[in-house]
Amino acid sequence: MNQTNPALAQPAHNKRKNNDGIDWQRVQRWVGTALVYVLMTTLALIFMIPLLWMLSTSLKTRPEIFAWPPEWVPAVPQWGNYADAFNSYPLGRFMANSMILVIGNTIGELVSVPLIAYAFARLRFPGKSILFVLMLSPMMIPGHIRLIPLYSAYLRLDMVGTYWPLILPSFFGNPFFIFLMVQYMRTIPRDLDEAARIDGAGTWTILYRIILPLCIPALTIIVVFTFLWTWNDFLQPLIYLSDFETYPISVGLAFFQGRYSVEWNMFMAATLISILPILVLYFFAQKQLIGGLSTLGLKG
Amino acid sequence: MRGKSRFLALTMILLLVMSQLGSALAQDSVTIEWWSVAGNELPQEAQEAIVTAFEAEHPDIQVNLTILPESGYDERMTTTLGAGEGAPDVALFWNANWYAQTLDLTPYLEADPDLSPEDYFENFWINWATWGDKVVGLPLGVGANFVMYNKAVFDEAGVDYPTADWTPEEYIEVAKAVTDTEVRRWGGDRPRGPYRAIWMNYGAFPYSDDSTMVDGYFNSEASIAAYEWLWDLVDSGATPTPADIEILGTEGTGPIDLFLAGRLAMATLNQGHMLIAVDEGVDFGIVPEPGFVDSQRFVNAWSLTASIWSGTENPDEAYEFLSFFAGPEGQRILMEQGTLFPALPAVLDEYENADTDYAQAFFSVLEDTQVAEWTAGHPCWRGAVIRSVQDVWDLINLGEISRDEVTTTINDYIDEAQASLEECTPRLGG
Repeated sequence: MNQTNPALAQPAHNKRKNNDGIDWQRVQRWVGTALVYVLMTTLALIFMIPLLWMLSTSLKTRPEIFAWPPEWVPAVPQWGNYADAFNSYPLGRFMANSMILVIGNTIGELVSVPLIAYAFARLRFPGKSILFVLMLSPMMIPGHIRLIPLYSAYLRLDMVGTYWPLILPSFFGNPFFIFLMVQYMRTIPRDLDEAARIDGAGTWTILYRIILPLCIPALTIIVVFTFLWTWNDFLQPLIYLSDFETYPISVGLAFFQGRYSVEWNMFMAATLISILPILVLYFFAQKQLIGGLSTLGLKG
Repeated sequence: MRGKSRFLALTMILLLVMSQLGSALAQDSVTIEWWSVAGNELPQEAQEAIVTAFEAEHPDIQVNLTILPESGYDERMTTTLGAGEGAPDVALFWNANWYAQTLDLTPYLEADPDLSPEDYFENFWINWATWGDKVVGLPLGVGANFVMYNKAVFDEAGVDYPTADWTPEEYIEVAKAVTDTEVRRWGGDRPRGPYRAIWMNYGAFPYSDDSTMVDGYFNSEASIAAYEWLWDLVDSGATPTPADIEILGTEGTGPIDLFLAGRLAMATLNQGHMLIAVDEGVDFGIVPEPGFVDSQRFVNAWSLTASIWSGTENPDEAYEFLSFFAGPEGQRILMEQGTLFPALPAVLDEYENADTDYAQAFFSVLEDTQVAEWTAGHPCWRGAVIRSVQDVWDLINLGEISRDEVTTTINDYIDEAQASLEECTPRLGG
């Protein structure tokens, strides 16, 4: 007959509470939580300093920006800097152009990457390893080296001056995303494919009905990174676009940097506006993004 | 019914004739691609006004203006020139590495009754429009460095304003006198590279005129004196450190923001900064960079070179536009609607604020000998020797060597600089 020691059977916290009337374990947990919150808040504030400084700068007059001692709150907030920034350049148009590029690239990556990744992760075909290495090899080549040949190619295709050079490559898959997706798909048990195949599913059905729904974290990463990279890309639009009305926000912001000076207050106002979509995206996608990154980190 | 058919046939013939005529007319019209940047000097609206004025005068030539951001212009031009195709007919060729791909304008200027090299400031023409025997472009505007001083700061410190005949040593003394560490205010800034105006004013040159000898030049008394002056300036504590300038400066063009904020009592700035200070209502004065009485005075000066790409399919039309853009009509529009100081003295005379002290002070430095006459004289300057002279400059700026070590440090670099020059000169000629 099993006999349990009553002292051992009593929960530890009850034991402590009974001794001196204070639930020390709970106190310990609260203190720990409070410390974590203080630490996280401090770190968050530190990370927010550049953003807050941007906000402060965007509301200052020019001489105030570099004044000593620095003032976080300007004497008279210059809200007109925001209006001036919008009046100087068509920021709304630039942001709309960026959004077109983001949507085009995101669609391209979501269409191409799972297809290519599935082939590498699941299908068997001759030369698969060599093709996989070849597919990855562009990642080892600095982008600048490809600029001139790509420019020549697009010029001959009569695509320079259009959005095609900026969107078309995404429909052929980004090697980094493909690599990510292949690694992720390899962690999904093959039993699922085989069970589906026994049930009569074909390759397309397995990919779209079985595999892709399990790849949401990886797909989220692709969407978020495509958004960020496309939104911030300066060089490619600069090289391929010529019409002022077609420039994305990354190129548009550069117009605030003049030959002899930078209008920091307007530049910061415009930059703050331009990062709003990224903040909104992160706000809505942070759960999937962090979950996706940690999942990929564990599985990849 | 028959009448209807005739009407239809006549209409079709008429349409056919009109379409042929239209297409013939369209073939006669040429479109010129023009790449430029937008900014205070060259506002987009002013450049569009140039296009409108030009097209009104030349109905057979259309101009397609592409405005690029200043900070990405080099990448775009280098890519297209590197590809050897797709470059614009007319553009700002402000990088000397691109000169090889410019159309030689000599025959066009010889045939042009309305424009000649004599119309431009001579020293700007030589330094910014010619490259060897080739005319690589037309100078668009003039720019130069000078020292701007904040009168309010000087008044507060009870220090006399500097005068045009000041020496480098006096610069340090004045900078120390107006420095106030309590309010983080520096007296002056540092030269942003060696062998700029002050080095030349000392009579210092890093190698001989015939580009063959470093020994006796880079380590000459004048050169050592200039480097020791830099050491004294750094040691005075009256200037921002390189890190301060890197963080607080503006795009490497001069610490205008620190000057506007009253944290730099004196700064080596340019005509663009000067106009910004006017707009901001700062009470300032201008003097040339320090030099020595009775010796040649140098100035860091520049112009934008507007050129025709050698691969253009329409060189005649491109020249028509370039000579309009960088000629009196275009530069006048840019002066009136932007802030460009024209490279044509006749147009500059029309500058509406020409009588102001600041404009007069700026005009006076335009006549000085340009550092570019020497530094742009041989490509081995930038290709090879500058590495050695920059190393010494860096060591002093970072406080890595004592004043006594300046001479020995320079001497240590002589062999390296000489070897670089000997390797470079035969390769690049000259």
